[in-house]
Amino acid sequence: MGTVAQLFFDAVSLGGIYAMAALGIALIFGVMNLVNFAHGEYIAFCVFALIVPSTDAVAVMFLGKAPALVLIPALLILGALMAMTSEYVVFRHFRRADPVAMMIASFALGFVIQNGLLAIYGSRPKAISLWPSLNTPIHVAGADVPLLQLIVIIATLLVVSGLALLLKKTRIGLEMRAAAENFTMARMLGVRANVVITGAFALSGALAAAVAMIMVTQTGVADVRMGGSIMLVAFIATVIGGMGSLPGAVAAGFLIGAVSVLLQAFLPLDARPFRDAFLYTLVIVCLLLRPQGLFASPNSKPRV
Amino acid sequence: MKTFLTTTALALGLAAPAMADDITVGFAIAQSGWLEAYDTPAATAARIRIDEINANGGLLGKQIVWTQADTKSDQAQSASAGLQLIDEGADMLIVSCDYDFGAPAALAAESEGMNSFFLCAEDVKAGIQGVGPNSFSASVLAAVQGATMAEWSMAQREAKTGYVLLDTTIEYNKGICTGFDWMFPAAGGEIVGRDTFKNGDASIASQITRIKALSEEPDVIMLCSYIPGAASAVRQIRAAGINSLILNGSAVDGSYWLDATPDLSGFIVPVQGSIYGDDPRPAVEAFNQAYEKATGSRPASSYAYPGYVLIDLWAKAVERAGTLDGAAVTAELEKMQGEETAFGPRSFSDQLHHQNSAEMQIVEISSGTPAVVGSWTISTPVPLDVLLK
Repeated sequence: MGTVAQLFFDAVSLGGIYAMAALGIALIFGVMNLVNFAHGEYIAFCVFALIVPSTDAVAVMFLGKAPALVLIPALLILGALMAMTSEYVVFRHFRRADPVAMMIASFALGFVIQNGLLAIYGSRPKAISLWPSLNTPIHVAGADVPLLQLIVIIATLLVVSGLALLLKKTRIGLEMRAAAENFTMARMLGVRANVVITGAFALSGALAAAVAMIMVTQTGVADVRMGGSIMLVAFIATVIGGMGSLPGAVAAGFLIGAVSVLLQAFLPLDARPFRDAFLYTLVIVCLLLRPQGLFASPNSKPRV
Repeated sequence: MKTFLTTTALALGLAAPAMADDITVGFAIAQSGWLEAYDTPAATAARIRIDEINANGGLLGKQIVWTQADTKSDQAQSASAGLQLIDEGADMLIVSCDYDFGAPAALAAESEGMNSFFLCAEDVKAGIQGVGPNSFSASVLAAVQGATMAEWSMAQREAKTGYVLLDTTIEYNKGICTGFDWMFPAAGGEIVGRDTFKNGDASIASQITRIKALSEEPDVIMLCSYIPGAASAVRQIRAAGINSLILNGSAVDGSYWLDATPDLSGFIVPVQGSIYGDDPRPAVEAFNQAYEKATGSRPASSYAYPGYVLIDLWAKAVERAGTLDGAAVTAELEKMQGEETAFGPRSFSDQLHHQNSAEMQIVEISSGTPAVVGSWTISTPVPLDVLLK
């Protein structure tokens, strides 16, 4: 029983991180067909914002010194501002460009952010001790679960239900859903494109900040390349979830996290280094069987 | 006037490497990108030794000058940086710390019959096996670090059971675990379990679950990884309440990341010399101070040291050979058996251009403070077939 519970918590907490990152990508894809590859760099940017800019080997806390009640909203706002700025400076000029051009622009933006961080903070990874006590395990249902894992699970549920409410109950949510469905038609019916897109970027940036806080609490390190691998997983989650489907991205994020943990737990030792190869083989199988994604919204299919 | 001065300075700067009377050492290293943090300290150390040699009258009666080209932490750029330096008249090449990133430049040197030195590569391929007969590495093989941890922990801490946690991201990590796997059972220990992870993994919760599922906590955990993944793994291992002694390779040396696990104890790192001012050999501390004078801060990790050692050994070999010719210098380097350096004796042979045994300082971190607790040289050098596994 204990083992099953342990596996469950390990799987759900990793899936939660992936789900939040995937949601950040799916939100923007939904409103402007942009796969934002700079999302991983937003995460790294938020992590580095916690420390004083310097190329010294030892990191000194900056924003990270603030109490949680200040730090959490401040970082969420910072992430949102970062994403909104990049929309204003870069992506706004690509509104009419085709998705490939936008994707390339997002790669370029990611490159600029990463090299900016390299120039300011140096290339050596830094240590950041944010809320170390959250890693202390507590006993739940026969399993040892770090408090952080529970927080990740609860936070993901809160974020997902909060977003669902926002999308269902508010005007901006309605506009976002309309824009995701048919952007041109929505504009013709009076949906304010700039507000909707900026709003989506702000939410996406705030989600990146949330992922950054979870990552840094869990790992205790800041590295300019830390957003890359999570961005890749999140992107794959949005693809197998069905591009543009928000519930799909969340479900696929959880699914990938769970499968990854299960593979790590049950693969024989010799095969374990190839965990990711197995994982991505399953992704390919998934896409062969359901090219439109596991949870594609009906309106994502081309209508003739 | 200003323009004239700039032009003159530029002309002199360009002309300097081409002056026939000087010996030119070319640095094909990462001056930007992620690898820069590893290349710059070792390159700085190499230049400190160059300055010392120049101050003592130079090499073969000539002054040593250096040129450099940026590999931008990119394998393709490494090859062109190497070629550029050779074109500019370099007499030997110093290449990046990592085998994968240094090898393209080293191969360029090899094809000209020139000597190349990896700044701190610890994979056996960085030498005869992967580049060619004139290529060397100044550092200590990763497998020696793992074997040192195995033998030391059994002799000094009565370790009997070990758990191997391998980060499969880079070859260096596999080298450490290979050395541990070879020495630990040979010295009478039992490896009770093993697992793998990736440096960038967001969480190693399932690996920790597996360790906790063991009937008894292992005496030691051999963690074969590097920063940032290693710091993150240690934070998660200790947070989960696992108190086994954690053994590592040299790559995690340096106190800069210790904030990741506040108040860390029972964490062991084998190093070529101590950066903490407590190395039993005065020459090491003298170097630390010279480094601080040159850069404004003490070395952040022991990975600066191989840069100093490599110029030291290469210059000795050049002096003995009386020429800069690659093959002649290689022959002199291969004659070195237990050659004394500030960081311990070094040996090369026509089979191996690496250290398969070395005196290592053992640094233990207790309550977040690192200190040297002893030194150890493995009883048997790591055999070539283990290195090539």
